[in-house]
Amino acid sequence: MSGYDDYLAGEPVVVTVALTGGVHGKEANPNLPETPAEVAAAAADAAEAGASVAHLHARKPNGERAFSTERFQELTDAVRETTDLVVQHSTGGTGAPLSERRKPLRTDPAPEMASLDMGPLNRYRHLTSENPRAMVDALYDEMAERGIKPELEAFNDGHVNEVHGLLERRDLAEPYHTTLVFGGGTLTPARPRNLLHLVDNLPEGATFNTLGFGPHQLPFATLGTVLGGHVRVGLEDNVYYERGELAASNAQLVERVADVARTLGREPATPVEAREILNC
Amino acid sequence: MTCPYLEYREGIEGTPTERAYCAAVDEFVQPMRADVCNDRYDLSHTSDCEFYREAEGLEAGESADDATGPSSEEAD
Ligand code: SF4
Repeated sequence: MSGYDDYLAGEPVVVTVALTGGVHGKEANPNLPETPAEVAAAAADAAEAGASVAHLHARKPNGERAFSTERFQELTDAVRETTDLVVQHSTGGTGAPLSERRKPLRTDPAPEMASLDMGPLNRYRHLTSENPRAMVDALYDEMAERGIKPELEAFNDGHVNEVHGLLERRDLAEPYHTTLVFGGGTLTPARPRNLLHLVDNLPEGATFNTLGFGPHQLPFATLGTVLGGHVRVGLEDNVYYERGELAASNAQLVERVADVARTLGREPATPVEAREILNC
Repeated sequence: MTCPYLEYREGIEGTPTERAYCAAVDEFVQPMRADVCNDRYDLSHTSDCEFYREAEGLEAGESADDATGPSSEEAD
């Protein structure tokens, strides 16, 4: 399992770049890539800056969410043409039925990884991204069938229980790559001690990413690096570089955490190393 | 049926395409919310959008202010 010993040993850090997302778009930051060509170019720059995994959401030409296999195919083809990053498709989708959320798994080739939301998340005033266990299991089963490594997204500490539950219901391969998410609302409150508790509660055989939203992105990436974890950054999760200053690019955010990792004695993993570390 | 307050307009920096714009709050809406505006999937503007409900007097006494949230607080 990831731990402080990995930090002491100077093990490489897998940097996942969440390039575009599906919630906000260019209205939040005009530098956020939306089209397949923009995302592919941003992925290449992020790879250069130290990323090894690309977390992808597909969009329609007007920036709105797309779940279709065709849109994901176009996107993933473009990213694979410009980089050798590990490709991770999102299966998240507030309000979208299971039939839609399966579609990103059905590209050819299949993505090497896909996100799997471990439980509910409130959105806006009236919405909840429900993610019931039956849906989690169904998405996992299709991932297993297609040889896709799940990235287990724990929006709060209860979702770490859900990770344990999934491991009881299904036979996942190690490492169980979990993303610990910090921020407001339903997310784990962004306090450093909460990260320590969450890491303590992960199952044996887990690796973890830290994902801090907005201003929590850099501090939680730093904390995660010291604790032997891996990090996720990008414009999906944080549109600012500093308070009041929009980020210029995904690469700018990646470069900063890569520099932090190097300063702390850990190199950003190459995509080849990331595949080995994550077993994907 | 789409929301009566929904329009598509140009005007977002960095893209030439028309984007979902809400005439109830006079702002471009987030791409995810545009699925609510368009009643896509299992979503409905009448039950799921606080801006519609406030504009129509369906959320009397409640503020929609807390519903917008920072745009970078939600992802998956
Ligand atoms: S944000 Fe709400 S009120 Fe505005 S157009 Fe969309 S559904 Fe209608």
